[in-house]
Amino acid sequence: MKKIVMMLLVIASMVNSAWAQKEVVFAVDATWPPMEFVDAEKNIIGYSIDYMKAAGEAAGFKPVFKNVAWDGIFAGLATGKYDAVCSSVSITDERKKAMDFSAPYFKVRQALIVSKKSQVKSLAELKGQKVGGQIGTTGYFAIKAADGVEAKSYDEVGLAIEDLNVGRLAAVVCDDPVAANYALNQYKDTLKIAAIIETGAVESYGIAVNKGNQETLDLVNKGIAAVIASGKDKELQQKWIGQ
Amino acid sequence: MSEKQVIIDVGDGAAIPRPEDKGLLSAWWLSFLGTLAVLAYLLIFHPDPYLRLLKFLPDGIIVTFQVTIASICLALLLGLLAGLGRISRNRIVNLVASTYVEIIRGIPLLVQLFYIYFALGRIVRVPDMVAAIIALGFCYGAYMGEVFRAGIMSIDHGQTEASLSLGFNRSQTMRYVILPQAWRTILPPVGNEFIALLKDTSLVSIIAVSDILRRGREFASESFLYFETYTLIAIIYLLITLVLSKILSNVEQRLSHYERR
Repeated sequence: MKKIVMMLLVIASMVNSAWAQKEVVFAVDATWPPMEFVDAEKNIIGYSIDYMKAAGEAAGFKPVFKNVAWDGIFAGLATGKYDAVCSSVSITDERKKAMDFSAPYFKVRQALIVSKKSQVKSLAELKGQKVGGQIGTTGYFAIKAADGVEAKSYDEVGLAIEDLNVGRLAAVVCDDPVAANYALNQYKDTLKIAAIIETGAVESYGIAVNKGNQETLDLVNKGIAAVIASGKDKELQQKWIGQ
Repeated sequence: MSEKQVIIDVGDGAAIPRPEDKGLLSAWWLSFLGTLAVLAYLLIFHPDPYLRLLKFLPDGIIVTFQVTIASICLALLLGLLAGLGRISRNRIVNLVASTYVEIIRGIPLLVQLFYIYFALGRIVRVPDMVAAIIALGFCYGAYMGEVFRAGIMSIDHGQTEASLSLGFNRSQTMRYVILPQAWRTILPPVGNEFIALLKDTSLVSIIAVSDILRRGREFASESFLYFETYTLIAIIYLLITLVLSKILSNVEQRLSHYERR
């Protein structure tokens, strides 16, 4: 009798863990410190990674992260190469037409980074000059929306920052946690954040899934809600962004 | 009986139509008219993404041509110097030219582009288009060097001897007798390299130069219409290379007018 009960318990726990271990594959463009980037051992780490791992524990899925270049990350989502995109994707109306978003998990604003010697305080003052951003990001769209500014698109934001450092650009526009990371760490002697660009609207990151993929969306939303309720997101913000 | 040596020439450019390929059914005409038909169909029946995209591209096309023409001029100059250097009897000049060719041919063009733009950017600030032209010019100059060398060496040695016996010195011989004749042999491969260079300019999109490919990528990243964008980009590159190869074929035909076949 005992043996049968033991066997049933073992089988039940195995089946339960099989259910619990649903894998969700997230595509990440790991060139966006401190949200998602690679460390010295080539592991993908960052605020979003820890956030999704915590969400997975709460909602019962196992997140797997794949490093994918930003330019083409949405094309891969549409063709089903992965389940979701966890790469600091800002929720915008244009993007909502092409994909579905989870609940927002981080509020973000666009920051203007300039050389320490520059006196510029806003995008409008940069008429006729070159301003760079990563291709296809809301930062780049902000540059293009500004009148008279020459927009240059880069494959990675790090390349744009390097060009700013060398003097080929007058400024770079990108999300404020990334801007803070570059301006306060590696480039603290040469670059500074000139301003936060106020667009009037609230911009937040969301997890993007293919249109109609309700299953993954529900899992992710459940996880995000649990993380926010438990206050873990504030903890992670303190760890990675320092405020 | 001497064995006929078979030379396999795998050119990089679109197959330059031979004079025998006249008539509407040749590969060139088929490709050209077919591509035009597809383009017309897309623009007329699906103007929404395609016409919008086409209006986005013209400045990219201009940049592509600017980079191509500037690079080919630089490449021709460097190629001539490298070719002459490799034939030279002066040991040092020969060594320098040969080393240049070896090194440049050993590094992929994409890596050279990155290097000149970023690595040198720390030492001497080079604007993006200039970096692209320098990288492309240096790379193709090495290949042109070989073409020039082969062309010059293909001229009968009797020409040099006759010229020297008439009182020309070596550099005058090269300038007035050899090079004008070598030019006819050199032109077809140079033309091929020109078309290959035009296609390779698509690599400069990586250093944020706004050529056709970069403009296409920007459009695709905003509209999420990846398939449509790259279809149109491919069509445009194809049309440009087809037209250039036809022009080249006509020029070659004119030049070979005097050769009896």
